[in-house]
Amino acid sequence: MNEFLEAAIIGVGLGAQYALLALGFTLIFGILGVVNFAHGGFYMLGGYVAYSCVSLLGLPYPLAVLVAMLATGALGWVFELLLIERLIDDHLATLMLTLALYLIISTGVLAVFGPISMEFTFPVSGALRAGSIYVPRENLIVLAVCLVAIAGLYLILFRTDLGRALRALADDRAVGMALGLRPRLLFPAAFALATGLAGLTGALVTPILALAPGVGDPVLATSFLTVILGGLGSLGGAALAAFVVGIVEAYTSVYFGGSIGALVLFVLVLLLLVFRPTGLLGRDVRGA
Amino acid sequence: MSARRGGLIRRLGGAEIAAVAVFIAVFAIPFLTNSVLVYSVLNQVLVGVVATFSVWIMLRMNLLSFATPAFMAIGGYTVAIAGRYNITDAFLLTTGAFVLPALVAVPLGALVLRLRGTYFVLVTFVLSQIMQLLLFETPGLTGGSNGIAGVPPVTLLGTELASNQQVLLFAGLLALLATLITALVTRYFRQHFAAIEENEILAESLGLVVWRYKALGFVVSAGVAGLAGFSLVNMLLTAHPSSFDSITAVDFIAYAIVGGRVSILGPIVGSSLLVYATNLFGTHGQYAQGLYGVLILVVILAARGGIVGAVGSLLRRRA
Repeated sequence: MNEFLEAAIIGVGLGAQYALLALGFTLIFGILGVVNFAHGGFYMLGGYVAYSCVSLLGLPYPLAVLVAMLATGALGWVFELLLIERLIDDHLATLMLTLALYLIISTGVLAVFGPISMEFTFPVSGALRAGSIYVPRENLIVLAVCLVAIAGLYLILFRTDLGRALRALADDRAVGMALGLRPRLLFPAAFALATGLAGLTGALVTPILALAPGVGDPVLATSFLTVILGGLGSLGGAALAAFVVGIVEAYTSVYFGGSIGALVLFVLVLLLLVFRPTGLLGRDVRGA
Repeated sequence: MSARRGGLIRRLGGAEIAAVAVFIAVFAIPFLTNSVLVYSVLNQVLVGVVATFSVWIMLRMNLLSFATPAFMAIGGYTVAIAGRYNITDAFLLTTGAFVLPALVAVPLGALVLRLRGTYFVLVTFVLSQIMQLLLFETPGLTGGSNGIAGVPPVTLLGTELASNQQVLLFAGLLALLATLITALVTRYFRQHFAAIEENEILAESLGLVVWRYKALGFVVSAGVAGLAGFSLVNMLLTAHPSSFDSITAVDFIAYAIVGGRVSILGPIVGSSLLVYATNLFGTHGQYAQGLYGVLILVVILAARGGIVGAVGSLLRRRA
């Protein structure tokens, strides 16, 4: 029973992390129609920026996380404005651009920090005890920050004019533009928001998991599984699917061990594509 | 004059003829040099070209496939496992390395290719990651993290192909076969593939059952990738998960894009140049991917046809 509950808590924690990544990914896809292959790269970069801030500049960890989020957001903003924007309607070309950016980020990180994983540990340790259940404090803090970020994203998207404009562009770009929305301003903003979230996740999670040049790849694969499961471009679907993915991963790793979780999820996704190609909460997918 | 000749060659499939000629020329190499380095680089190029064909076939339909390492693994491990049972006949192994990945691709393609291209990209990316896990999780069949070492050399018509020259020649044969298959499929379905590339919705509205051609392309692409896996295992005499790392999918995509997606010569030029360039990095091979990233940026932003496309338009401007 304890094992069961602990797995549930781990699963929810993983789910919150995946939600931040998948929300960013699906935001970019929904609004810009761009598949962001660099998403794992921004996650990794977030981790390295936070690491550098803590170990080289001596900043306190929370500030480092903030810097990581802002830095990855800024890089995303510049990248969208300078490169993606030129080819925004060519799905394959934008995909390649983000893939190229991912390769450049990975190689840059490798060149600066080397291939070995960094000694980057979470500043808080120990576990919280409730009855006979132990939960690591660091996981709870990460969960809390992720939930706050998800709530913040919800407020931005559904309670501000910026959010309404972004959602309008996602619904129908032509009509949105006819009503005076300016993609030249909004697209970079959306991209920056999403990459900032990826950077935030990286800064939060890499001290617990690992920080090495290859950490972006599995993150990207999990994001893909999550957004397919949730329905490409659907924000609610991405959030829901993220928790499904997190919980499935937690339970399979507790009860079956190893990497069976990823296999189970992949089969789940294939089945879903047979029976409900639009994903859990997806509508008709935009032509991409 | 030259414009008319260009048209004639295009109708004959000049690029395809040139591609086949390149691989026939490979058979002369063992008579020209004994350099181990040349053999090694050339062998890597031959493996790379075949793998890149598998990416290129899908690119003809505007689909980006990350599944090449996964299908290479199926082809390569088929050969390695057959070796355990002392099956070394070249024809049998070639057939197996082509057919098994192709069979796996049938249900997957039928499933994913009915959906938009984005799903294809995402699913193939995940597939390559999953294949790595599968290789590690099935030690009974694949040797797990140890892989399968000591794969016996291939026998062709009773001759064991064990020396460096013979391995290179066999890689050349496999590359030639892959070129012929790729050329046949892309020439035969040229109009269908082009219609899908130009405007999928229009093609569909004109009655083309788009997903069927995509699935067909995917099956052939998987088979060709299987041949690349065979060639790789035959070169290393080992089947190991690291040879089929999902990140290598990016290499083959880079070869195809940088070489040029407009012609079958693109994958050949791209893999030759980039494999050679990667070897120049020497022990710093891990930085090669940064170079690929920069080259992809340049191609996408400035020269959409890649090297072959750029050279082609340069020649046309001269003429």
